Amino acid sequence: MIDHILSLLIAIPLLGAAAVAVWPTQNTSHFRIIALVALLLEVVVAVVLYISFDNQNPGFQLSETKDWITLPIGSLGIVSIDYALAVDGISFPLVLLAVIVLLVGVISSWNIAQKTRAYFALYLLLSGSVIGCFLAQDFFLFYLFFEFMLLPMYFLIGLWGGPRREYAALKFFIYTFFGSLLILIVMIGLYLSVIDPLETARMVGIMGADDVIHPDLIPQIQQWLIDGKIAPEQIVHTFRFQFLGDPGNYLPGSLLHLASQYYIGDIPLRLLAFWFLFIGFAVKLPVVPVHTWLPDAHVEAPTPISVVLAGILLKIGGYGFIRIVDGFFPLEAQYSAIPLGILGMISIVYGGFNALGQTDLKKMIAYSSVSHMGFVLLGIAAFTAEGINGAIYQMVSHGVLSAMLFLLAGVVYDRTHDRKIDNYRGLIGVMPHYTIITGIAFFASLGLPGFSGFVGELFTLMGAFQSDLLPAWIPALSTLGIVLAAGYFLWTYQRMFFGSFWYQNGNNSVLTDLTAREKGLLLPLVVMTILIGILPGIVFDMTGPTIEAWLETVTR
Amino acid sequence: MPDSAYFLPAYLLLGVPFLGFLSLWLGGKKLNNAAGYLGAAATLTGLIISFYYADPDAVHIVRFNWLVIGNTSIELAFRFDFLTCIMLAIVHFVALLVQLYSISYMHGDRNLHRYYAFLQLFLFSMVGIVLGGSLLVMYIFWELVGLSSYLLIGFWYFKKRPVWAAQKAFVLNRIGDAAFLTGILMLFYYTGSTDFEVLPTAIADLSPGLLTVIGLCLFGGCVGKSAQFPLSGWLPDAMEGPTPVSALIHAATMVAAGIFLMARISFMLTFKAEVVILIIGTITMLIGAVKALNEWDIKRVLAYSTMSQLGLMVVAIGFGSWQTAMFHLATHAFFKAGLFLSAGSVIHAVTPSETDTVFDAQNMRTMGGLRRSLPITFICFSVCAAALAGLPFFSGFLSKDAIITEGFLWAKLAGPVGYIFPLIVIFSAGLTAYYMTRQVWLVFFGEKRYTASAAVHPHESPALMWPPMLLLSVLSLFIWFSWNPFDANGWFLHFLQPEHSAHLSWVPFVASATTFLFIFLAYRETKAANPFRLESNRWETETEKKFAFNWLRDYSQERYFIIPFEFVTNTFKRFEKNIIDSVVDWIAKGSVVAAHVISWIDRNVVDGGVNLTVFSIRSAGNAARSLQNGRIQSYYLVTVAGLFFLILWLVLA
Repeated sequence: MIDHILSLLIAIPLLGAAAVAVWPTQNTSHFRIIALVALLLEVVVAVVLYISFDNQNPGFQLSETKDWITLPIGSLGIVSIDYALAVDGISFPLVLLAVIVLLVGVISSWNIAQKTRAYFALYLLLSGSVIGCFLAQDFFLFYLFFEFMLLPMYFLIGLWGGPRREYAALKFFIYTFFGSLLILIVMIGLYLSVIDPLETARMVGIMGADDVIHPDLIPQIQQWLIDGKIAPEQIVHTFRFQFLGDPGNYLPGSLLHLASQYYIGDIPLRLLAFWFLFIGFAVKLPVVPVHTWLPDAHVEAPTPISVVLAGILLKIGGYGFIRIVDGFFPLEAQYSAIPLGILGMISIVYGGFNALGQTDLKKMIAYSSVSHMGFVLLGIAAFTAEGINGAIYQMVSHGVLSAMLFLLAGVVYDRTHDRKIDNYRGLIGVMPHYTIITGIAFFASLGLPGFSGFVGELFTLMGAFQSDLLPAWIPALSTLGIVLAAGYFLWTYQRMFFGSFWYQNGNNSVLTDLTAREKGLLLPLVVMTILIGILPGIVFDMTGPTIEAWLETVTR
Repeated sequence: MPDSAYFLPAYLLLGVPFLGFLSLWLGGKKLNNAAGYLGAAATLTGLIISFYYADPDAVHIVRFNWLVIGNTSIELAFRFDFLTCIMLAIVHFVALLVQLYSISYMHGDRNLHRYYAFLQLFLFSMVGIVLGGSLLVMYIFWELVGLSSYLLIGFWYFKKRPVWAAQKAFVLNRIGDAAFLTGILMLFYYTGSTDFEVLPTAIADLSPGLLTVIGLCLFGGCVGKSAQFPLSGWLPDAMEGPTPVSALIHAATMVAAGIFLMARISFMLTFKAEVVILIIGTITMLIGAVKALNEWDIKRVLAYSTMSQLGLMVVAIGFGSWQTAMFHLATHAFFKAGLFLSAGSVIHAVTPSETDTVFDAQNMRTMGGLRRSLPITFICFSVCAAALAGLPFFSGFLSKDAIITEGFLWAKLAGPVGYIFPLIVIFSAGLTAYYMTRQVWLVFFGEKRYTASAAVHPHESPALMWPPMLLLSVLSLFIWFSWNPFDANGWFLHFLQPEHSAHLSWVPFVASATTFLFIFLAYRETKAANPFRLESNRWETETEKKFAFNWLRDYSQERYFIIPFEFVTNTFKRFEKNIIDSVVDWIAKGSVVAAHVISWIDRNVVDGGVNLTVFSIRSAGNAARSLQNGRIQSYYLVTVAGLFFLILWLVLA
């Protein structure tokens, strides 16, 4: 099992989705139980994964590789696409986060009443694709999963959402699809430029004594490539991350070769490719100004989908920045550090101010996500160990906290179908437990020490200060974000929870305190944010060695 | 004792209040009756531990590894030295008295367990600040102190104003904290550490300009927490919290944390930074004193006075003499806590026995003549007030005297303009004497104006309330700080190891002369026809609004923070809606128009043709139909298609 554990992680939800789709009865509870069982199994596999994962190993672990598509296309060489999965310190915390948030999401979907078969099938499909995104080690496979997420997400918002769901769903789709197109263009460019040295070695017929291709052959092949000793028909093109990251594998004179002389206007093609990829993932993160799909999507999405969207989907943007954007274009990323840092700073401050101005609870939380994800971009732009570790930590922390915040927003929405902050007052009088947990979530999100939000902000800011690429005023101005966070969270808290109880639409009897299921969902998240807030080593021990090795490779 | 022996007190001093917090908070309402005693017991334990492990002549440091990332290894260090000895004693002692006092004062509140739980949380975080061996540790507990202050100011959450005041306090503090954090991160970058052991040598290589910037960033933390101009507006409003909380947190301990921080980092303050600090301190000191002159709420007078005294301590830091600042911090902690507890006793006494919506138990206009019914409170209040006013034989006299002396010594070095600062300090001390005389007279002398409400029956406070007051007022006498009532260089100041201990023999006389002059002015006012404009201004009138210093009122309210924030927020919101979203919308609509044009050309010019054309017509037709249906979504689809072709053209061209 351990050899195929990563495939299993992807297969379980997909099989679950198939099972829900073909299940013979129309019984709603069957569907959700299948979904729950699938995700519980997923948790079991994740626990096994956690045990077998070696924190000290900076490389890829538990790799699985299968040749998938090999297609000679004449002078354009040979197309080679692999089914390659692996985890390392960058993806592993995010995989664990995804499993947890997906489980939380399925439990909070318990009350979904309409079209349950479709809902749970799509939910499981989404789960499989999200996990696949973090595990894929082949750009083509990654892109497949990446695109595959859009479809279930589109329907989950568009069919089960609020009043303006169609608008929100399409806006979400268009934005992300636009981003995907930019990624696709660069992907094709990369494909045309990069070879798989091992497979090429096989094609030209150099092998070791034991008929096995040795990795030592790579420099030789790369030298041959430069000398032009390999015929175009024999060149095997690849999408594998491990080859895309190594400048030696780029065809001399190809579009995206390090010394590429291609320009569009005055902009070098590699820099343009970098910005295309960046924008592609920036839509997902989201980065101001391509963020406007997020508030709409969050407001209209049903609670569990908001949880999954904020909890994991946004993280694929940050993951893409590290693995793909910085991984394949490290020089361009360092060259562009200042604009990236400024974009991060703008997201932090702009998102914070907008959150302060919202009257809708979910929108306020959505803009706070924009602000918090700005710290991720700031940390990544810094290109330092502290910054990138901090960025991954911030993603994990925000995953837990935003899941909590959206669950909490869902609690009142479920009861009243009203998300206006000003329509509530003094909820502490009727919902004391709800008030306490919201207080914890708010203080954790505004970065109070002892909770995870503080550590994430501290290390992304520290990384940005340490960075030689960023001037100090960028992180210094970003600290305004922590002031604003105190403002919008506490102001909301004061308006909704304190004073004497009052509810706009009169019908108070529906405002009952948390149910056992809601508490069961929220308390583990509270424990998690405190646990990783006090012992941040839990995350940093996973990411540290990998990031150190990764930084050495990309800054070579 | 070796350093490793100090793990135990570190665990105990932090662990006991934290466990106290958890058990009282989770224990629920059934603990309401026992909570006060449990809290006091926990604090007594802390006090005993602090004295048992007190070793002022040595420095003991304990370290815990927190984490390692990249080149940054982060340790949580806790430090025991003479500064922690003093602070631990003050914090635990005042906290113990305040909790005993609260048992009686807060009696009958339905959330008592939460009250004591939050007090324990406060102690946990305050002890953390005091023990913090690096700026990062201090910052962590600094924020937690902010949380406990928030929880305690807003303790009566069902009332509107306390909750608002709590939030205001937290947010204004956060502004200072952002600067503080920036300073910490800059130190991490330039020196790789914020440990107090490492910093003195590590900063040697930094340029003075950079040190000034870092020093002022760190001072930002002090500006927030110690209510300095321009972030001081939260302190008067924090008086919405229960009075014992005001005594402990917003007078004696938490607000002094900023001064403690400056004392810790005094070695890295450059002259330029000190001048800025001096100016900020002077402004705060004057504003506080002037506002206290004109205030009618018994607690808010004391709050403005606290602000003014904190300004005085900051001035001392600016003179480069953190020792005298700490000296004043210590004396101030006792007499100000004593004043607040006595004020609580007064409020307790004049609170109507039945509900009276008009009568305000904190308004000094409806007090007066209370010395007969509240003799103990009267004595305690007067002694502490005398200490605050700086009368000879009281502790405040000594510490203020020390600061003024330092001021003249500093001015001698800094040049003639520098003399303006010690002179302002003397003037402000005079104002202090004036408003305290006014307050004592308004509360305890004159007519019995509380008879305005039939339900007010003043009575002396119960036995759990007055002993803490009495103890604090005894501690406001000179004897505890210096054997000679006219020489501030007593054992306490020597304990703080000042580099130079000069004594200007004329300072005590000039200072006392000013104090007596202002007391005389206040006394003369009590004999006036309308003392302190008591009658004509019973309620706010137009004349009062025209009072010369009233512009200051504005800055303590929202104008300088809320309104600019609101403006920026609304601008950004409009920007979001009208620019960012509408650009997308515009592109979408433009694409649809383009699609129409193209489809028209397609139909009429290309006409017929290959299958592709048919496909285009069909898509355009769909787009057109969507337009008529008003379905905005389809605009985006067209946009993306348009962009896609644009990019394709760019790449291929």
